[in-house]
Amino acid sequence: MLKVLIPTIMLFPTIWLTSPKWLWTTTTAHSLLIASISLTWLKWTSETGWTSSNMYLATDPLSTPLLVLTCWLLPLMILASQNHINPEPISRQRLYITLLASLQTFLIMAFGATEIIMFYIMFEATLIPTLIIITRWGNQTERLNAGTYFLFYTLAGSLPLLVALLLLQQSTGTLSMLVLQYSQPLQLNSWGHMFWWAGCLIAFLVKMPLYGVHLWLPKAHVEAPVAGSMVLAAVLLKLGGYGMMRMMVMLDPLSKELAYPFIILALWGIIMTGSICLRQTDLKSLIAYSSVSHMGLVAGGILIQTPWGFSGAIILMIAHGLVSSALFCLANTAYERTHSRTMILARGLQVIFPLTAVWWFIANLANLALPPLPNLMGELMIITTLFNWSPWTILLTGLGTLITAGYSLYMFLMSQRGPTPNHIMGLQPFHTREHLLMTLHLIPVILLVTKPELMWGWCY
Amino acid sequence: MASRLSRIWPTLYRARLSSALGSRCVSQTPKSSASGAAVASDLQPVSPAAHDSHGHAEVSPFEKNPDFHGFHHHDSFVDEWNMRLAFFFGISVAIVVGGTFIHYLPDHGMRQWARREAERLIKQREAEGLPLMTDNYYDPSTIVLPSSGEE
Repeated sequence: MLKVLIPTIMLFPTIWLTSPKWLWTTTTAHSLLIASISLTWLKWTSETGWTSSNMYLATDPLSTPLLVLTCWLLPLMILASQNHINPEPISRQRLYITLLASLQTFLIMAFGATEIIMFYIMFEATLIPTLIIITRWGNQTERLNAGTYFLFYTLAGSLPLLVALLLLQQSTGTLSMLVLQYSQPLQLNSWGHMFWWAGCLIAFLVKMPLYGVHLWLPKAHVEAPVAGSMVLAAVLLKLGGYGMMRMMVMLDPLSKELAYPFIILALWGIIMTGSICLRQTDLKSLIAYSSVSHMGLVAGGILIQTPWGFSGAIILMIAHGLVSSALFCLANTAYERTHSRTMILARGLQVIFPLTAVWWFIANLANLALPPLPNLMGELMIITTLFNWSPWTILLTGLGTLITAGYSLYMFLMSQRGPTPNHIMGLQPFHTREHLLMTLHLIPVILLVTKPELMWGWCY
Repeated sequence: MASRLSRIWPTLYRARLSSALGSRCVSQTPKSSASGAAVASDLQPVSPAAHDSHGHAEVSPFEKNPDFHGFHHHDSFVDEWNMRLAFFFGISVAIVVGGTFIHYLPDHGMRQWARREAERLIKQREAEGLPLMTDNYYDPSTIVLPSSGEE
């Protein structure tokens, strides 16, 4: 753990002491080295779960894929931001990368935490750099509203979580995941206990987001600059899923009945947000609602609490993280050239940018869950486990899959195919940097086809 | 590269002229609704010396540096080295070396061994004509049960 955490903390001196000419080069190289070292976490040393050098930071097969995703994403964010941040004064550039690096540090400590209260503190701490990125570097005036929605939705959800954790500490004497996984099942039989159950999960359901408390997400994703959108879609949503999976261990047997409305809400959300995607005119908004749709499936898989549900949830989280981040990067390339997110404005791009059309194609195919990509494998596992729970869910999940395919193809056809309008003809060619960014997103997705057991979590 | 520039130069020139005349190629829409279908709105008036979001005049950086890689607008040396290091650390180190490391990870939980062992045992039992699996894992005559009547 320290072999990654200390280089990440040393990223701060790197950012502030490098000469302005080489700032982006050194931070890119440094963060890619951190990402390479983080791959060593995939070697799980014990057969029984946790790998740790001390009691407070540990990795296990659930947190490792998310940790590797987090470490992989920082260099990608730096690559994506380089172009639009470059004209700013040097200290503001350094500040921007500092915010990204601090987000990285908090996320590593969140996913590696063994004490639930440390996870909670890091969960809250990630809000601050994200809020600053959205409200300071967003491009439209709506960013202030977006920051407010983002901050207060998450805070309102997580205050009950703090109370619930303090109650848990009081009744069990510990908040260490290492200990709680072996504790006796709690006597949960009163209304107060039901509120405690809800308090444990609401924060993560808001973060995921569950349909119904999802309104912060389209605003935050759309108004954030590209690095903010990337980290939000790829990792911060998964904090919610990860938190839920950790808390579920202790919440039986209440979950059998109480999870019912949330599963239904999640499934309904897949259909609703998928349908909203079909009516979007704003490209980033479409991708944001697509994230809500996929995470609805993840939420359903986690709330079912079967091995297949959990495995499917982790696989879909990792795959969606990479693919959704790739889509935001592609949307940003269109935005940087046309200065607009309107889809009908940046259409017919295939003629002008043929290689980029390949990236659009692969990213959209991954989004609609094409086999053998892990997106499909995760979705299938979740759909199967939901069918096992209740056969009627196949109607909702099947329709959701159809609608997902619909809007993903719509996104591709709208942006790439069709006649190229005149104002597109004069756009700048694609940069090597942008092609590299897309390959670094999509190659891991394709490589994960060959070794999916990295993502199966506890059930492996 | 040069042919592509020669193709887009006339339209680029026209785009420069039109931007100099103050007509930007962005859609001007009224303030967004709550569902957030926002588009870029021109917050400042467009001047003849219009600059794009990269702080440059509306001229492609490929004009000055045909080998522009997208990393650094003014210094082609830094741009080239940034590209080289990003590719080296990103692909050669992270994906290739990292991927090799992951490929050679040990068989966690002995899953692959278990599959091979099962296939070997099936082959062996089919060859010997034995059933693939017996009802009792342990020989029942070796199990000593307490007698049922007493405490």
